[in-house]
Amino acid sequence: MRKTVTVLLAALAFAGAGAAAMAVWPIGRPPDLSALQGNPDRGAYLARMAGCIACHTDVEGGGAPLAGGVALQTDFGTFHSPNLTTDAEYGIGDWTIEEFSKAVRQGVSPEGTPYYPAFPYPFYGMLTDQDVADLWAAFRTVPPVAIPSEPQEMRFPYNFRPGLKLWRGMFLEPKPFEPDPDRSALWNRGRYIVEGPAHCGACHTPRDMFGARQAELRLHGADGLPDGGKSPPITAEHLIEQGWTINTLKYALRSGVLPDGDAFGGSMGEVVRDGTSFLSDEDLTAIATYLLDKD
Amino acid sequence: MKMSVLIAAGLMAATAATAALAHSGATGIVKERMDGMSAMGDVVKNIAAMMRGDKPYDAAAVRDGATVIASHSGEAMTRLFPEDSGGKPSEARPEIWSDWDTFSTLADRLAVLAEALEGAAENGLMMSGGGRSAGQGMMGAGSTMMDTGSGVMGSGSGMMGSGMMGTGPGMMGPGGALPDPAALAAMPADGVFNMVTQTCSACHTKFRLEKK
Repeated sequence: MRKTVTVLLAALAFAGAGAAAMAVWPIGRPPDLSALQGNPDRGAYLARMAGCIACHTDVEGGGAPLAGGVALQTDFGTFHSPNLTTDAEYGIGDWTIEEFSKAVRQGVSPEGTPYYPAFPYPFYGMLTDQDVADLWAAFRTVPPVAIPSEPQEMRFPYNFRPGLKLWRGMFLEPKPFEPDPDRSALWNRGRYIVEGPAHCGACHTPRDMFGARQAELRLHGADGLPDGGKSPPITAEHLIEQGWTINTLKYALRSGVLPDGDAFGGSMGEVVRDGTSFLSDEDLTAIATYLLDKD
Repeated sequence: MKMSVLIAAGLMAATAATAALAHSGATGIVKERMDGMSAMGDVVKNIAAMMRGDKPYDAAAVRDGATVIASHSGEAMTRLFPEDSGGKPSEARPEIWSDWDTFSTLADRLAVLAEALEGAAENGLMMSGGGRSAGQGMMGAGSTMMDTGSGVMGSGSGMMGSGMMGTGPGMMGPGGALPDPAALAAMPADGVFNMVTQTCSACHTKFRLEKK
């Protein structure tokens, strides 16, 4: 009898402890990024797709890969892309993956200051944890370059960086990518690339006076791009009206050649040269499928 | 009979007028270089359709087209860009003259590549898959970027080894060295054609005013 009571008490205690443990057992923790195994090759591919390499490499000036130094003239002032090499002093060599993730997906520096949205982190918010781990693995392989980043030269009032917090509050809606279960895997992949890493809307969606993209004019083309350029509309309606097909669009993104035999100039020439020409056939198909879909 | 001749003549005149208007009233040397660009554009349009598989591959047409491009590139192109020949209706950017070396190097590069394409026409297509490499999926065998030796990053070849500019397509203007003409002519036609059009795009990117 005594033995039974002891066993029962023990069982109860065990159950109680279990219940307590269950109660405090944390779930849904943010994944520990440093625990993820990054694939540097996949990250390098993503860095092409996302334009990291294009914007942070001074190709014209013969600069080292990802050492920054590209000037971007805008209505708000002149941006200078910073050094992203592994140099600990001038690059991002002493960053952690968590700091990298916060910078890329949230636009916040390790010191807690907001980045100007010329850095398209509002798009990169769609990157998955694995994407970030892969990118980080790739960035870790970049040789250090000891060249300081140039300071941003913004006009008043844009040079007041904390003002960006207001901008963030008004316009920044970070959304992780959610595939549409009713659409094909190809279409979803295309949507992810176009709306996420490839950040097509950064140039093809017009911006308002605050530099925020006008959602209702998504991909409708824009004036006043950096350096005074213009971008054409790339909505499905417009592309179809202009006679684009999946095949011609893929080929243009791979080769820079338009259906009429012209070759891209302007910033799209650079996008193809430094970005889309490196993409796989499957991904180009996905992009074209998504862009040409009227729904 | 007479009527149909008249109609035909009228149509031809109208076509010519439209062509002239398309280049918005350019005359003289500006018109001459625009016509040269148009002639090359027509060739690229035709060959690109073959590259996309929208048309069957026609080696003779590729060779003849390459001859047309060669005839409008190199010195034949640069001589049409004398100093102070920019400004409307020309689409030439002033950088052509402030960075003449780059411009003329690209024009020469186009000539070398077009001549190589004449020779490579008979080689047919390798059939490009994706990206700049012979085309495997992005996750496939390593990475697309590494295959061409143009990888910026990645585990394999010590990332910066070959430089991110990519030796393959060599679009980086004067910096990128071209393989020698014989090696180029031994390549599949689509590979050489890609290098041709990348040169076009590199030059447009740097030296052409863009309209909407």
